[in-house]
Amino acid sequence: MLRRVVLQTFRQGLAQSFFKRNAASLSESAVTQHPIETSEEAGAKSGSKQKNGDESGNTVVVAPPEFRFMYPEFLPDPTMERRNKLKEKLERMDMLQRRSIIEIPEFYTGSIMAVTVADSNSPNKFACFVGICIQRGGSGLQAWFILRNVVDRQGVEILYEMYCPLIQKIEVLRLERRLDESLLYLRDALPEYSTFPFEMEAERRLNNSVVPINPIKVKLRPRPWLERWERQNLQGVEDLNLPQRYYDRAKEVAKPWEKYDLMLQYRKTIPAEEQEKIYAEVHSQLQQQDLKRKIKRRRGPSSEQ
Amino acid sequence: MSTVGLLRTLFNPKLLPSNVTQLQSLNRSPFLLGFLSNHEQVRNMSRVKRRNTHPGYWLSLKNVQKKDDKISADNLRFMREVIQDKYKNKSPLKVSELQIEKTEWDPKTKRSGVIARNIGRQQMWDKDGNKIVCTVLHVLDNHVIRYIPPEEYVKTSRGAIHFKNKTPLGCLVVGAEATNPEKFTRQYCNLFAEVGLMPKKTLSRFIITPNAALPPCTPITAGHFLVGQAVDVYGKTVDHGFQGVVKRWGFKGGPASHGATKFHRRGGTIGTGRDKARVWPGTKMPGHMGSERRYNRGLMIMRINMKYNVIYVKGTVPGATNSIVRIFDTLLPLRKFKEAPPHPTYFPPEDGTQKEEDIWDSRLHVFGSPSISV
Repeated sequence: MLRRVVLQTFRQGLAQSFFKRNAASLSESAVTQHPIETSEEAGAKSGSKQKNGDESGNTVVVAPPEFRFMYPEFLPDPTMERRNKLKEKLERMDMLQRRSIIEIPEFYTGSIMAVTVADSNSPNKFACFVGICIQRGGSGLQAWFILRNVVDRQGVEILYEMYCPLIQKIEVLRLERRLDESLLYLRDALPEYSTFPFEMEAERRLNNSVVPINPIKVKLRPRPWLERWERQNLQGVEDLNLPQRYYDRAKEVAKPWEKYDLMLQYRKTIPAEEQEKIYAEVHSQLQQQDLKRKIKRRRGPSSEQ
Repeated sequence: MSTVGLLRTLFNPKLLPSNVTQLQSLNRSPFLLGFLSNHEQVRNMSRVKRRNTHPGYWLSLKNVQKKDDKISADNLRFMREVIQDKYKNKSPLKVSELQIEKTEWDPKTKRSGVIARNIGRQQMWDKDGNKIVCTVLHVLDNHVIRYIPPEEYVKTSRGAIHFKNKTPLGCLVVGAEATNPEKFTRQYCNLFAEVGLMPKKTLSRFIITPNAALPPCTPITAGHFLVGQAVDVYGKTVDHGFQGVVKRWGFKGGPASHGATKFHRRGGTIGTGRDKARVWPGTKMPGHMGSERRYNRGLMIMRINMKYNVIYVKGTVPGATNSIVRIFDTLLPLRKFKEAPPHPTYFPPEDGTQKEEDIWDSRLHVFGSPSISV
């Protein structure tokens, strides 16, 4: 069943330019360079989820461009030697099957999530963990994310594989992004930045279309650190207050030419045309699953009454 | 803590790699099962000739048509029309038209194997939540080309060597991956045209007992195997090129610091100096590593997808992704068939009642089923 899914005409130019910008270089630096603009454009793109306007005469299923941020694990590993279209297609089918059982919500690094997992050693047989997502990665069924929290003054990180059948529920308590794609520096930050209460409830978003970016600047503990944060161009960290020689050495060691290296970016990403095809294939099923869940949620409270 | 995650403290800096992949099977010895890492030294009989990388006896490189034939555009079009006509009329026989002898299966039967492509690895979970990494093998369009009965096969040079002091067995020639006839010589294409098939890129011989013989043009699909059976997979291992002694043989090398002068990844002593006073043949040294013909034996089939002709095999398989492998019923005695498999091969039922599209092993957690609760 083909449907026309198109962009709103008056925002078409903006959204297309965003799409193209991200098509060129989908690296983390490209996204973080324009954090505010993405949230504005997200407003435009939310409209593309509904049918609106008329693009051209062709009935082609096109997934909205924000799918590549909402479901990044559907894209395969870009290493050319290991790519095979049949295997990727079969893996996507399995992923959609799993998603029909459990809701794997949209989340980003910096979102606070609660994961419930079946655990034989737990008294209730279920273990729940709340934490901030500091990193996510993997592609296909190997997709994972790391949640971090501080429990009884001990920092705890847990890596969860998103498609593991032991996971009962993944809930996003606070959906937001941070200024960096990886928050590993929270390990060297003051513990208050990684502490979240286990009893935290899901926060309702006022504006569903925009994913807010939390511009918080985190304070790090004094050195020694686990990594050389001064060499990593972190946006979400307060002034490190290091002696000048650290910054000088960072400059010597830096690779400023990498941002001009198109082939490097090309090898790290899936081409935009392929991404479109992949998301078009997966789009209708994901939307159907989303709709079913919304209907269930609406019926749920009303049936209780 | 549950098996799902990793509990880490604030002070542990090490992170998991971003892709949880299993190491390729570095099967350095024909006798060793399972995979080794750089940390273990290879302790097989190194002075016994362990490998040969020369092309197999069956390979003849004259199949490929030379590409510098200067044909005009008109002639090329004509050639293509001729090819179309030739292969349009000669379509492969349907399964119902094949004359398949009904033979009995017994435990000593050797069935045909299958040519497949290793398309990657996928992880699945069992009913306890344990991760199982499986290799995905895509069974290509296998068709039987010819059956050579034992009396004839013994007379061939290879058959004579193989069955010197044994009872002779038959040989089934199977081809996979139909391609454009323009790429091959006329003689090669004729091998297949006799049977009514388009020329295949890959050919393979499978030694079978006469009761497992199949007529030419029989398709062999993923249904040839059963979920839960053990298979041996034959392939050419990943080519690592010229490698040093640490990677190739698992040597420890030398200290990284503490004043070690140019001795970090070297072999060290290569002889005693006293007895024999020479370097023994077979001494472990740097050299070419990989690209060897190997079997990974006893791999269990966890899942078969009949629609896409794909087999999921537990463990790893020799060779890189997208390389061709051959799959056989295992010869490990404790993992052989106890009941009859699809013999001589699987044929979809005539009345249209297909077997299920996706067959899972009973131990696996099916993705569409509810989450596991312990």
